[in-house]
Amino acid sequence: MKTLFLDAPYNGTIELAAETLAYLKKKKYKTVGLYASVQFVNNLEKVKEQLQKNNITAITSHADRTHVQGQLLGCDNYHNSLNLSKDENKKIDCYLYIGDGKFHPLALVYSQKDSDAVKEIVCNDPIQKKMSLMGMADIKGILKKYKGSLVRFLSADTIGIIITIKPGQEQFRPALALENQFPDKKFYYFIDNVVSFDQLENFNFIEVWVNTACPRVGFDDQEKFVKGVINLNDALHAGEILGKDSMMNNLQ
Amino acid sequence: MALYKPEVEKAVAEIAAQKAKLVCIQLPDGMKPYAKDIADEIEDKTSAKVLIWLGSNFGACDIPLGLNRMGVDLLISWGHNRFHKKEGW
Repeated sequence: MKTLFLDAPYNGTIELAAETLAYLKKKKYKTVGLYASVQFVNNLEKVKEQLQKNNITAITSHADRTHVQGQLLGCDNYHNSLNLSKDENKKIDCYLYIGDGKFHPLALVYSQKDSDAVKEIVCNDPIQKKMSLMGMADIKGILKKYKGSLVRFLSADTIGIIITIKPGQEQFRPALALENQFPDKKFYYFIDNVVSFDQLENFNFIEVWVNTACPRVGFDDQEKFVKGVINLNDALHAGEILGKDSMMNNLQ
Repeated sequence: MALYKPEVEKAVAEIAAQKAKLVCIQLPDGMKPYAKDIADEIEDKTSAKVLIWLGSNFGACDIPLGLNRMGVDLLISWGHNRFHKKEGW
């Protein structure tokens, strides 16, 4: 069976709102990391022109799981997802996201949870013609719980690993690495089509969950896991992450 | 459907090229109210029967399983482009 993907591109003009440009200038941002969701990413010429006219340099990249340059997915939320060089990363004063909603730009916030400093995310919504800002404050509550789940994971003996079977999501083999990393823990593997949150509490012997499906489940759905959940990549480096001088560990 | 272009003509062309008889359409939540318009247009312009995926469409990583067993010839998924899975996160 063949699959045809259709982007459903935005029908209107994609440009920066006056308040977005005014804010970038007020903050004296000289270089922005420019990203957009798929509905907007193929039509950013006007945005680039506006930035150029205002002497703002746009740096972009081909993020890990995306199909085109400059595209941002919600799952590109790891510290190195954007594939920016060290030099590019240093030059970027803030991220500029073009699109609507919070799901995609929040990936840029999550990706900085283990950094010692955070770059602001300036969101420009071409539909509402409005700007909004995003930063660590938007995920503070989630990260506090997430850190608690990381601590619980390190001390727990019985761990439930959640694997979803859709080919784009399934990460069974990589999850097995946890057994080598933590030989004293007992891991049970739970398989599902989508994560059935209402079933979790039936398996009451599990002390904490490790999510291997969409990494955003580990963050955005933290509330639905009474026992707590962490993502596989963080489980593999839990001790190191908790020992860092980072945004997550320094939350007040 | 004023905000986004559904480009149903591309779906119709692909159905013709594939000579698909049974197609499944998968829409993100924001486009689900337009499933009727899209299904009607496809059935008007092709001889294919349309199945509308009821469930989630979180991204191109979230493709329905088991459609082959029902004899679906083509899945058309809106709102996403190709997903490049990274083994091992």
